Amino acid sequence: MRPASRLALSCICAALAPIALAHDEPAKEYGRLGTVKFENSCAPEVQAKLTRAVAMLHSFWYVAAEKTFTEVISEDPSCAVATWGLASILMSNPLGGRGSTAAQAQKAMAAIELGRVMGAKTERERDYIEAVAAYYDDWASKPERARQLARAEAYQKLAAKYPKDDEAQIFAALYTAATQQQSDQTYAAYLKAAAVLEEQFKKYPDHPGVAHYLIHSYDAPPIAEKGVKAARLYANIAPDAPHALHMPSHIFTRVGAWEDSATTNLRSRDVAKASGEGDEAYHATDYMVYAYLQMGRDADARRTIDEASQIKGININGFAAPYAIGAMNARYAVERGDWQAAMQLPMPPQSTWTPTPANTRFARALGAARTGNIAMAREELAGLADIQRALEDKKDKYWATEVEVQRLVVAGWIARAQKNDDDALRLMRAAADLEDRNEKHIVTPGRLAPAREQLGELLLEAGQPKAALAELEMSRTREPNRMRNYYLSAVAAEGVGDKAAARNYWGKVAALGAKSDSARPELVRAKAALQ
Amino acid sequence: MRSAAAIALLAFAAATHADPYEADPDLAKQDTDYAAGKRAVGAKDWASAVERFRRAEVRHPDNADLQNYIGYSYRNLKNYDAAFTHYKRAIELDPRHRGAHEYIGETYLLVGDMEGAERHLKALREICLLGCEEMKDLEQAIAKKRAAR
Repeated sequence: MRPASRLALSCICAALAPIALAHDEPAKEYGRLGTVKFENSCAPEVQAKLTRAVAMLHSFWYVAAEKTFTEVISEDPSCAVATWGLASILMSNPLGGRGSTAAQAQKAMAAIELGRVMGAKTERERDYIEAVAAYYDDWASKPERARQLARAEAYQKLAAKYPKDDEAQIFAALYTAATQQQSDQTYAAYLKAAAVLEEQFKKYPDHPGVAHYLIHSYDAPPIAEKGVKAARLYANIAPDAPHALHMPSHIFTRVGAWEDSATTNLRSRDVAKASGEGDEAYHATDYMVYAYLQMGRDADARRTIDEASQIKGININGFAAPYAIGAMNARYAVERGDWQAAMQLPMPPQSTWTPTPANTRFARALGAARTGNIAMAREELAGLADIQRALEDKKDKYWATEVEVQRLVVAGWIARAQKNDDDALRLMRAAADLEDRNEKHIVTPGRLAPAREQLGELLLEAGQPKAALAELEMSRTREPNRMRNYYLSAVAAEGVGDKAAARNYWGKVAALGAKSDSARPELVRAKAALQ
Repeated sequence: MRSAAAIALLAFAAATHADPYEADPDLAKQDTDYAAGKRAVGAKDWASAVERFRRAEVRHPDNADLQNYIGYSYRNLKNYDAAFTHYKRAIELDPRHRGAHEYIGETYLLVGDMEGAERHLKALREICLLGCEEMKDLEQAIAKKRAAR
């Protein structure tokens, strides 16, 4: 080793507090993860393990992947390319848009430096390490967007340099998809990635990354149908990875395939619970509750919410768990129109993630406004304003806008309660337009109450069923197959005297509720209308 | 080499896996020039503020908040043409940027362009359906200017 390399390695080691070695720990069997071929020059005895770690990386199973990559290096200290895997993990979910924290970036750069010092045996492996290094280069002075673009460019160069390396093509597609901006509703980056992945899918129908990234690349309302095939396959490609079990439900939710969503999220929750991944378990639970509620399976939804209290190992100052805890309780009240229950929702546990209380306050405000308790609605509205202000102070424009939409919806219902329909409609239309420009975040299966659906409901209450029908139809393009939407559409169709349309909508309500375990009024009305 | 790599990696493992949700979207916490520019604004050292913000702009050309700060700093240096350029860029990047609408409106008042100020007050009224400080402040500034005429 060159002196400079020795120095670099000693610096890395000094930066990372040493802990005792644990050679006696048995390797954990992680089960079925799909088929990955990742050519590498590591010792023959660790090659299978390295490939397994790459498969975990493809399914964003970071806890397991980190452990496995680390074991590989421990067992073969010449396997420098494993440091590429460690640095990749620390970029986190590349589709989440938030990237590494400063602490993670520091660790990743140490891993990259270690990889350089170890010295990969092939140029290709060195190029993999440098490709991930592009994300971390000058990390502190770049916004996440610039890091994403640098990463995509580096991986595209890698893919171009090694055109026969399908792993390079697949990772390049992933990081291209990760440059998709919410403001671009042509979904250019997603579709560019999908074109590459569709070709790979023909060659590798059981590759976890290909199926997984196709789902992400079609995770937008107008293109979601294209992802159904990958969604149906992915859970069975990597059935032991919690994210692989959950991820198909992003597409199932986009297309309103509730039974599929509930089934795969149940599996995801159970695997995540068993492996101590509380955040993933809560995230799957919220998606599952949403799906059950769309099918009128209220008892299943309630039981699922109650069971969530047994989930351990959550990061309350993270994001997924606090969102799910607040959202699923609020959903249970709002989707069923149980305004009294909505008003009595307890606040979720305190979290440093600023939007945490927003859904609860929104539900309480809706409950109050819909039952004429203007004072309480205003109080909750003020609480939402405080949250929006705090988010703006933190420059978190996405979530500030989400909360602003909630405020506008609540203000609309307050105006309606005060018999000021002109103001109510103006506010609600502004909410719907604003929400349409702010794509749904991946943390949620859907907003608590889609603003355009609310606009349709308001128009219906204001005696404008024809206008209501138009808004409800438009809402379905982004939030398809929702029971409440079909229910409102049926009532609106009756309001304009279109019996055939009404019957069609009542039929959809009844079909969604075919396995219902509740006596929801909309299902009772549907049954009566269809007799 | 073997033990050093092993120690480094096991320490790495102890550092815990990635948490996807903790990155801070506030540019001031990521960019030293941006942070220094904000400190200069606090000290009313407008020339330094412009210098540091313009350095940050090289790295973050599409940040509306940064453009708004540059506009504000130029405005305080009485370089109104430059202020307008950066405020307009901020609004181009984020048409709902309330601060930029308020400040460009106030800058129009400084150059005697009441119509320009009113245009941005109208924009704020459309953005702030539930009211906002920026709209109130610009309303007051316009009213004050009218009263002084």
